[in-house]
Amino acid sequence: MSTVAIVGGGLAGFVAYQTLRAAGVEPREIVVFDPDPDPVGAWRPRAEAIRQVRMRSESDGHCYPRSFPGLAPREAVRRGELMPLVQTACNRYRPSVEEFLRHVAELRGRSGWDESVVADRVERVSAVRGGFEIEAGDGGSAWPSRHVLLALGHPGLAVPGELAGDPRVVHAYEPHPYARRVAIVGAGMAAATEWLNALAAGAEVVSVRRRDPLRRALNLPRPLFSKRGLEQFHATSPSERAELLAELSAPSYPPGQRWDEPLDAASAEGRFRVTDSVDGEEQVICATGFRHGYEHDPVLHRLVEEHGLETHGRWLVLTPHSTVAALSDGTRTLAVAGAQGQWAYPAADTLVGMKYAARRLLRRITRCRTP
Amino acid sequence: MSYTLRGRIESRLAAALLPFLAACAIALGLEAWWPVELAAAMIGAGLALDVGLYHRLLPYQPAWAAIPLGLLELTATMALVRLFDIAAPLEPALWFFVASWALAQVLGHAGWPLVRLTYAEDGGELGRGGVGLVALAPTFVLLVLGTAWATRPPTVHLSAGVHQGPIVITTSQILDGEPGTIVRGGVVVRADDVTVRDLAVIGGEYGIEVDRADGVRLENVSVSDAKLDGIHARRSSLTIRNCRIDSLGNPWAQGIDISFSNDKHPSRVTGCTVVGGLEGIVTHFTMAMIDRNHVSRTTLRAISMTEMSMGEIHDNEVWDALGVGIFCNDMSMCEIEDNVVVATRPDRASGDAARAGYGVLSSFHAEVELGDNELATNPVPVGAVADAHIVDK
Repeated sequence: MSTVAIVGGGLAGFVAYQTLRAAGVEPREIVVFDPDPDPVGAWRPRAEAIRQVRMRSESDGHCYPRSFPGLAPREAVRRGELMPLVQTACNRYRPSVEEFLRHVAELRGRSGWDESVVADRVERVSAVRGGFEIEAGDGGSAWPSRHVLLALGHPGLAVPGELAGDPRVVHAYEPHPYARRVAIVGAGMAAATEWLNALAAGAEVVSVRRRDPLRRALNLPRPLFSKRGLEQFHATSPSERAELLAELSAPSYPPGQRWDEPLDAASAEGRFRVTDSVDGEEQVICATGFRHGYEHDPVLHRLVEEHGLETHGRWLVLTPHSTVAALSDGTRTLAVAGAQGQWAYPAADTLVGMKYAARRLLRRITRCRTP
Repeated sequence: MSYTLRGRIESRLAAALLPFLAACAIALGLEAWWPVELAAAMIGAGLALDVGLYHRLLPYQPAWAAIPLGLLELTATMALVRLFDIAAPLEPALWFFVASWALAQVLGHAGWPLVRLTYAEDGGELGRGGVGLVALAPTFVLLVLGTAWATRPPTVHLSAGVHQGPIVITTSQILDGEPGTIVRGGVVVRADDVTVRDLAVIGGEYGIEVDRADGVRLENVSVSDAKLDGIHARRSSLTIRNCRIDSLGNPWAQGIDISFSNDKHPSRVTGCTVVGGLEGIVTHFTMAMIDRNHVSRTTLRAISMTEMSMGEIHDNEVWDALGVGIFCNDMSMCEIEDNVVVATRPDRASGDAARAGYGVLSSFHAEVELGDNELATNPVPVGAVADAHIVDK
């Protein structure tokens, strides 16, 4: 029986693995299930698709278990320059995607990640006495484990129903060139990025949206990243919390000239306009993010159904420690990291949020450890 | 970072622990309580701002805010220093604050996040260690401060009006005059750790005499009409701050004379105004710093370090001295920097070539390091005689 099984080998699973390893948990005590052993196998094509060159922030731009140091000292040493350190002191450092990928590869190599990965898809997780049983692969081989972290990632890309099957449609997170006339559906960060990318590629852009986007630096108020805001968040009733989470996930992108100037210039040239229809456009890019909700993930959906776990709307109800109360006790833990962990941590799908879940899991493992 | 209130307090106390212990060690070394009192003022100001201001106004505190908040804390700390009359010298106090602030920044941004995985998401809280710290640290600080309070010298208040002297002080104490306090006939200090402040001395053999006493502080005192020196110190270490000495009626007296104290802690004369007399400020066989004083209308020399004295003379203003402005003599070693010496007059009546109106004069094997002095309208700006040396910095 392994000590910890991590279901999902994307960034959430990878961050959790690094956290456990830094605390002294050996690779042989951890099993990671994912058909693709590359922890950025899902993330990298999405970043490439939206032409992302920098991470969103310093803290949300590295997988080290500790919040300090981030990548700035590493980059400063590698480039032999002080600038990354100056930028980090001024809260202006954002690692490049290239730097981030290099860092992930380095951590992967030295942490023993590949020793722990079982390249199989998990079909089912069920609670058994004193732990869990994980059925993986077509043959359904069963892996027992005392603690399980579900790091399942986003359950697919969201495409509006009325556009399903339309041959012009491509999702923003899928590889795509730009046509001459492009309709971009959505009003969040991905949509704003696509407006600028398409304009830079010389396209005429139509922004298709149901409402005007919010302009905010981050989707979440800063206190919600720490205990200061989380205590209040955890004290809300389920309906208040669901309402708050829906409000926080409303489409938004940051304020600033970097975004406004190209759009204003393109509007003046007649190359950018806002409308509510995709009719007549050569290409339709859906910058509509991901599907939301536990029911879209087959493993989670089955687990909820089989064990009658508590849910609220599209969310799986979790404790403030990102665990499932009904299946966690003094001997075992079922924890959730990444997008499906929003009930415990609103920014669960960020690297910071993934670390939150991982650190709490680590705390439980340390407490539950038996000789 | 978004601190919780508990996180702010725990992080503050944890970062202040080392500086406070360092302050205790420095206090032991100096045999003075001000380092401890300063550290306590710093902690107190920080905690008050944490509770009263930061927690309410800063739900999120970006890293760059450390600098403006640090300046605010420095202002609050110095206000407390003034309010509680803590005898901390400005420059060391500033360095202590800066070092403590820098340590707190390093710990907050790097140290605690390295030691404690959840430091940032816990809002700066330090777990069980933090709780223990909150319980014990204030007790420890209060204990040390209580000891400081209990062992501090008693304060003797002199009421406004004229008191007949001489007042002879033979035990450690603070002699504190109310506004308008005058002592006729002089003050004599013959005990260590005596502070005399806020009074005017008129007459007396010496205005204020300090004899074989260490750690003496003379603050905001004025002396006039003394028969001999305004302030006369022998075999003592003392700090004289913001004094006024009027020796205009006595061309043979010294304004301030600190002598034969080379085996003592260095003495300091700062912020004083000395008018008239033979020499304005003079040291013999003493280590001293003489800075930010105004000396004028002396009949022999304005500022003088002699007989194997050693020290700094900087940022003083000297004008209308007869013969010599600043004098370093007899194997003394003097750093003379950033002074203004103007309108020194030649003493033709003396017939002495070494009194030809020198701005700065080094004499008889003395060594002077000169730097950035403003020497205007002196017949001879700088000179060295009798095997003395002058080196430009």
